[in-house]
Amino acid sequence: MATKAYTLPTDIPTETVTNIRSLLRIVSLALISAAAISSRLFAVVNFESIIHEFDPWFNYRATRLLAAKGFYAFWNWFDPTAWYPLGRVVGGTIYPGLMATSGVIYNVLHALNLPVDIRNICVLLAPGFSALTAWSTYMFTKELKDESAGLLAAAFIGIVPGYISRSVAGSYDNEAIAIFLLMFTFFCWIKALKLGSAFFGTLAALFYFYMVAAWGGYAFITNMIPLHALTLILMGRFSSRLYVAYSSWYAIGTLASMQVPFVGFQPVRTSEHMAALGVFGLLQIIAFSELVRSHVSSKQFQTLLYASVIGMGVLGFSGIVGLTYKGWIAPWTGRFYSLWDTGYAKKYIPIIASVSEHQPTAWPSFFMDLHILIFLFPAGVVMCFSKLRDEHIFVILYSVVASYFAGVMVRLMLTLTPVVCVSAAVALSSLLDTYIDPTEPVLEEGESAESEATPQDPTKKVKKTTPPSNSGSFGEYLARFTGNTDKPRGIFGVSNRLIVLFNTFGMLVFFVIHCTWVTSNAYSSPSVVLASTGADGNAHIIDDFREAYYWLRQNTPEDTVVMSWWDYGYQIAGMANRTTLVDNNTWNNTHIATVGKAMSSPEEVAYPILRKHDVDYVLIIFGGLIGYSGDDINKFLWMVRIAQGVWPDEIQEPNYFTKTGEYRVDDRASETMKNSLMYKMSYYRFNELFGGQQAVDRVRGQQMPKEGPVLDYIEEAFTSENWIVRIYQVRKEDLLGRDLKVANAFEQGRKRKKTKPPVRRRALA
Amino acid sequence: MAPKSTAAAKQPTTSTPSALHETSPAAAGNAVQSLLKAYNETTSPRLKLIDAFLVFLMIAGVLQFVYCVLVTNFPFNAFLAGFGSCVGQFVLTASLRSQVNPANRNEFKDVSPERAFADFALGSVVLHFFVYNFLG
Amino acid sequence: MFFKRVVALLGLVLAACARSSTGDSVLVVLDSSLDKEAYSVFWDGLVDKGYSLTFRSHKDARPAVVEDEVAQFNHVVVFAPDSKNLPQDLTPQSLVALLDKGTNLLLALSSKKQTTINTLASEFSLVLPPPGTPLISHFPARDTPATVVPVPPPHAHPVLTAGLPPVWFSGVPFAYTPNPLLLPLLNAPAEAFAADTTSDAGADAVVEAADRAGEGLWAGSSLALAAGFQATTGARATFVGGVEMFSNEFAQKELPQGKLSGNKQFAQDVASWSFQESNALRIDKVKHHRVNETEPRETYTINDNVVFTMHVSKFNSNKDTWEPYSGIQDMQLEFTMLDPHIRTALSPVPGQPGEYSVTFRVPDRHGVFKFIVDHKRKGWTHLQSTTVVPVVPPQHDEYPRFLSAAWPYYIGAMSTSVGFVLFSALWLAGDDREGKKKGIKTE
Repeated sequence: MATKAYTLPTDIPTETVTNIRSLLRIVSLALISAAAISSRLFAVVNFESIIHEFDPWFNYRATRLLAAKGFYAFWNWFDPTAWYPLGRVVGGTIYPGLMATSGVIYNVLHALNLPVDIRNICVLLAPGFSALTAWSTYMFTKELKDESAGLLAAAFIGIVPGYISRSVAGSYDNEAIAIFLLMFTFFCWIKALKLGSAFFGTLAALFYFYMVAAWGGYAFITNMIPLHALTLILMGRFSSRLYVAYSSWYAIGTLASMQVPFVGFQPVRTSEHMAALGVFGLLQIIAFSELVRSHVSSKQFQTLLYASVIGMGVLGFSGIVGLTYKGWIAPWTGRFYSLWDTGYAKKYIPIIASVSEHQPTAWPSFFMDLHILIFLFPAGVVMCFSKLRDEHIFVILYSVVASYFAGVMVRLMLTLTPVVCVSAAVALSSLLDTYIDPTEPVLEEGESAESEATPQDPTKKVKKTTPPSNSGSFGEYLARFTGNTDKPRGIFGVSNRLIVLFNTFGMLVFFVIHCTWVTSNAYSSPSVVLASTGADGNAHIIDDFREAYYWLRQNTPEDTVVMSWWDYGYQIAGMANRTTLVDNNTWNNTHIATVGKAMSSPEEVAYPILRKHDVDYVLIIFGGLIGYSGDDINKFLWMVRIAQGVWPDEIQEPNYFTKTGEYRVDDRASETMKNSLMYKMSYYRFNELFGGQQAVDRVRGQQMPKEGPVLDYIEEAFTSENWIVRIYQVRKEDLLGRDLKVANAFEQGRKRKKTKPPVRRRALA
Repeated sequence: MAPKSTAAAKQPTTSTPSALHETSPAAAGNAVQSLLKAYNETTSPRLKLIDAFLVFLMIAGVLQFVYCVLVTNFPFNAFLAGFGSCVGQFVLTASLRSQVNPANRNEFKDVSPERAFADFALGSVVLHFFVYNFLG
Repeated sequence: MFFKRVVALLGLVLAACARSSTGDSVLVVLDSSLDKEAYSVFWDGLVDKGYSLTFRSHKDARPAVVEDEVAQFNHVVVFAPDSKNLPQDLTPQSLVALLDKGTNLLLALSSKKQTTINTLASEFSLVLPPPGTPLISHFPARDTPATVVPVPPPHAHPVLTAGLPPVWFSGVPFAYTPNPLLLPLLNAPAEAFAADTTSDAGADAVVEAADRAGEGLWAGSSLALAAGFQATTGARATFVGGVEMFSNEFAQKELPQGKLSGNKQFAQDVASWSFQESNALRIDKVKHHRVNETEPRETYTINDNVVFTMHVSKFNSNKDTWEPYSGIQDMQLEFTMLDPHIRTALSPVPGQPGEYSVTFRVPDRHGVFKFIVDHKRKGWTHLQSTTVVPVVPPQHDEYPRFLSAAWPYYIGAMSTSVGFVLFSALWLAGDDREGKKKGIKTE
């Protein structure tokens, strides 16, 4: 008879326990969902119900059109106000999943006579889907281990900052729904694999389709599942279940994914998708050979078959390579290369490297985004090794691949987060299971009693009976769990259990505090509205962006073309409703380089470019007055680099540095720098603000030259309260066909440089 | 209509050559014979029905592929839809076959033959929905 | 008082409805040294045409040219060659500003002094010789001083009346710089030159002095005596080398050949061009639509066939109306996105006065295109029209749907579906049978 560390009530009928268990599960899930949603509402509480950042503005604009004009108009939407004058075929160049989702919700609510504003749907979509993500993570983890691990995983994913960073209220971006789809597709996949069910395969394909429609990151699934299948085959774990699951997923999923206009024929034409096709072919061959083998037992024949299988595999692979070589299958794109060689983008495609979320991840951000989970994560992965069922292999592969990608690119932290939560939950739940289980190890061989205790009950007990705390290292305890359970293992006594449980509990509390703090402080800023804290501690709202965008909206004709750096394109389109030259959908490098050239050239060179593109206003962001460091002068070198990529003869990066190689804006700045349009626009009349005193740029911390720049071809139209946004109007060609510099000089009454001597002369001999 | 009935009629005879088609042609004659024999002996009529359908699908797929390579791959989406429907239906049917095959009973503990057919039907309907959506 | 005058002026503008295409109120700023009556032929000619003239001395500040940012006159004539400075509202800057507001200018240069009008000329791409160097010609032999020169007007000029006899000129010549906005009205005779001496003996000295100053010789037929300038807004400004051209004296003076001079007619021609009376064109409307349709579309699809139609009118000063004008043979239409993708002739439609039309196929390129007509001919109003129209790719349902080449695929897909249905039916039937068999077995 096994001894118990503490006794459990035994007079409860099994049925009641089961019922309570499921009730508690549902309640916990509901609470987790509520926590997930409410912690994402900081942004709304601290600021207001507003769309955040840059890309969401476009999504919001697209959704408004979808809600107003219907799906077909959205599908065929050609936006003449973006990328002027090229225009943008929006319907064919976006992932419509997000907008379609909001559109459906909007229409359903209106059909139910709930007149909800489309903006509120957009703002609250991400928190809503985070609840679904928590649920799908629960389902996924349940397949890996059990319900309690699932609940833990759901709680983790619900509040982990790594995911919140992309899904606060107002962060209306593709990732908001994509993570849910990702987890649910993976859940369907391992479920299909477990059961060998074509139903779950089809379901996985359907959610895969949804994912393809929603986020470019679908390629992660496209390669993850084949990788898993291939690994299983190589491990000799081929089974008919694998065949059923993979074939049904691939056949339907691929065909479905090609329905999305933006994806089109890519699944059969680009290298990124070839792995899935290859594994599909391989599976067919193997399945067929297995079939034949089941009928024939001749050894010789089998070896023959193996040879032919391998031969066909090689043939297929070389076929793919050959087709790639011939150009029928597109080789990997630059974005893809930059995943393997982090220096690649900087060298060849500055436009990709310039995006802040494409930068490599800084180490502290792993801790910032994942907190204790990052320590539990390896433990969970190791535990997967100890069980090593098919789905555990999946989690291991997922962790390895996602860890790599998260290290390469900041934004891919998002794909790592779910698996970290899952692994951490597995690890933590194993720990809790072990320490809550009342069964004490029997030193001699004996049967172990099944524990009926739900994990929730004892945790509450722990709370009530607060034991003396002790510092216990987590790793020590974890190390014990990696071995298998041949020998009886376990914990003696109640106090040991309480020490560990209390520590664990404390850590979870810290985790929650950390998550709340990070969410409210770091990830809830809309970046359209800035907050600063005054000397007296009062929060001060800086609303320059909207001030400027609304100025444009109210004071300029509707067909006005506004040039700005691409970062602000979506916001101008969304808030000011004006035509832009370039925006955050950075599809045309040359066009961006044109803007970069205009910004980094002297006025007289920039002017023809501006006129050719019908630019009426130029908008720049200047932080020098209040110390807003994300301004255009700090981004200026990227403009120069991108322009240099297209016009290496006219724009050269070294010219913008001082002789000693410094990037300066003060007296010592190079002439090229001082003459560039961006510099002039930024510091135009900046001196006047200081009333004769030395002007200081608070971002760069440099003293500005006494003489401010002079503008001839453009004139100041608007400057916002804190000078963050400055808008300049491009002057029309001169009335008399003169150069604008000359015309300006005439206008100001300055003496014209005489071309002919005016002096009276006497020619009399 | 027509292809289906012919395929059904030819069912016992056509299955083997096509099987041969897929495997390495280097297989020795007697091995093929024994394979044929074993197949005929051990396969139930229901599986043979599935096999017949598989063979039909394979022929249809190969024909389309040949047409695509030799004549034209325009419009590409129609080719993908037509070919994809054959391949998709093929793998779904093959899945069904392995699920209802009594030999695989232990692998599919949770999938009864009825459930398997329901899955198959659902998968096929979804597949055909996408095929027709993509065709035109 | 002031208000009354504004109302009166406005009433005037409305009632007279103009000999000119832009209005008929003229402010004449006269140098106080000039006698108004000495130019009565010119004034009367204008009044006869229907202009209302307001005279003002160059020293006066009233009536103001601009009040409350609104130009009070449609045309301003400044005949003040001897005054070095003009009042505040007639500085070079204000005159350019007037031009910007659409007011036409007729300005006389001074041959003696460096006046503000002379400095203004350089803004209009005209280069003046040093002060005090009037035009001199010793040919043809005549009884007038060498500085009073009969000048034959150009043949076939778009502005001047055909067959005009030579006109008397006395004043300063000037040189053009290549500015497409300039319209030469009257050039000096080939034998004429600019110098500060009329003495024949000083010829070498003139050449020498010009050489020394490094400015070349001011001589020959490329010297201008009167030049028009059409600003990008369409307003016109005319510079005349000497105000005497408009005088009664020159108008009535006989030429060496004995004929009456062409001055009177020339002055009226110059004035009518300057006041946008002659050679004034306008675009009435611009239309575009797809072939076989009548209404314009908000967007066009690539490869659409599009009809572009433009209606042009010319001002008829005799009837004081705009009349359809089909006389332009070389008009072009551009269909532009950054660069012109299509450039085609926009020719008049026979039988439809004033209509110009062209049909073309939209390029196979989507984007925001512009229909651009940019017709600039010297002496004529510039015709400029830009219509922005997005060209979009075909809608999802505008692509060809069922292609004959795809029939095998359609058959393939359909046969698969039929096969699936049949297979399912057979399977279910087989299932029944099996079920029965099983049932029998179990029984």
